[in-house]
Amino acid sequence: MSRVLVLVPFALDEASLAMRRAQLTEATVRPDVTYDFRPVVAGPSSFQSPHDWLLLDVAILEAGLSAEADGFDAVVIDTASDSGVDALRSMLDIPVIGPGRASLLFALTLGKSFGVLAQWEPALGRLRKSLDEWGLAAYCAGVEHFDTEPDFAGLIGDKRVEVFPKMEAACLRLVDAGADVICLGSTTMHEAHGYLAERLSVPVVNPGPLSYKLVELLLAAGLSQSRPAYPRPLVPKEAMIHAMLDAGATGS
Amino acid sequence: MTDRTHKVLVLVPFPMTSEQLEKRAEQQEEAKLPPSIELHYRSTRAAPSGYVSAHDYVLADITLLEAGMKAEEEGFDAVCIDTVSDSGVAALRSLLTIPVVAPGKTMFITALMLGRRFGVLSMWERWFGLYERTLRELAMEDRCAGIRSIDTHPDSRNLLDGKEEEVLPRLHEVALQLIEEDGADVICLGSTTMHQAHGYLQERLPVPVLNPGPLSYLTADTMLALGLTQSRKAYPAPLQPKPEMISAMLTAAADTESTP
Repeated sequence: MSRVLVLVPFALDEASLAMRRAQLTEATVRPDVTYDFRPVVAGPSSFQSPHDWLLLDVAILEAGLSAEADGFDAVVIDTASDSGVDALRSMLDIPVIGPGRASLLFALTLGKSFGVLAQWEPALGRLRKSLDEWGLAAYCAGVEHFDTEPDFAGLIGDKRVEVFPKMEAACLRLVDAGADVICLGSTTMHEAHGYLAERLSVPVVNPGPLSYKLVELLLAAGLSQSRPAYPRPLVPKEAMIHAMLDAGATGS
Repeated sequence: MTDRTHKVLVLVPFPMTSEQLEKRAEQQEEAKLPPSIELHYRSTRAAPSGYVSAHDYVLADITLLEAGMKAEEEGFDAVCIDTVSDSGVAALRSLLTIPVVAPGKTMFITALMLGRRFGVLSMWERWFGLYERTLRELAMEDRCAGIRSIDTHPDSRNLLDGKEEEVLPRLHEVALQLIEEDGADVICLGSTTMHQAHGYLQERLPVPVLNPGPLSYLTADTMLALGLTQSRKAYPAPLQPKPEMISAMLTAAADTESTP
């Protein structure tokens, strides 16, 4: 039996966590692997400026810092921004998977180029930054958004009648731009995956469920991130990081 | 998502005795495959003598295409090929709608999920052209820290049997050169025939070591679990498939090998 910790990037209540957990039904996960969803204790209110990205890096690092000591076998981040992944990888020996970079790389096992579906215009900055940082911009046929403000707690929910067709139209623009594969640019889009996969002529990668299967793959193969690629700090500062987030939670 | 058993066809790129095929099949013990995956190994009816020249690559492509082109109508859910060369994959992907996994590409891409730059550890310098071809196709030459070999003519049928004492320490030594001198932070085994060395190397090296065969089976499972397959847009179907012609060509090819 393996236990996977899924870190949710907003301090959500149980109802909203359940909507995140629903991603587990969108892939055939192994019966011998369990997934515990844990929200961060504090963080940004949205996700469109370097201020937000930095806060999320720290919040996710803190939320996952004790994963190994808590008895988990792997960690997954429930955001395609991969916030906190590099820092967690530098601290943990168990595999840590971020769905963003992994889903774009995985798309290259299915086609030669991918298109990324973004939520709205303010999300484009972070996506372009990630594509550059991950060295994957050359494989990207385009980034298109569907002009809808994200709801990190309620996701798409009852707005689907209006929103799903807009997502499909944005995906079609990506296909026209030359994308062989569509990558959903956020794990919060998972409710639309079935709708889009049914209607589009190219594969649609659902980053959250893919990250669960990749973590299962790494566990089955006995693999984890490379230590030389993610060196440990000379002096880990766990107490400082926890204190910062405790204070952040009180202050927010 | 359903939980039924998935039948995966593994194509072995050389005609083999059942004992030799068994050695290839031992790879499935090297990863914890889910019980829902069932592997079926099948060898090609003919083959090049090795994978060292463009002549060989073409023969490898057509023999693997022939061995797998009916996989879907035979009831398989996915196809893996038992060679890092990815021979035949593009053509099989153009004919089949079930996932066809390319172990070479998959291994390099997975390496980038674990580290920044990978090194390819090979048996033989004459295989380097295969890796360079895949890296060029992926446009990932700059992610490869180095390709090194132990300069040994490999035995694709009997693998490392009887040669472990000599071969394993040399592979270890050359892998360390990839890490320490070339800057590799992940090691990719350059052939599925090296699977017997994986455990030895992983125990001794400070970085992840990717075993391409088992990794390809787990990747097939990942694709099946998510309902994903290759993009038709990237692998367009032919206007007119020629399965009878391809079959006849391989029957003729096999005959030339069996004629004394």
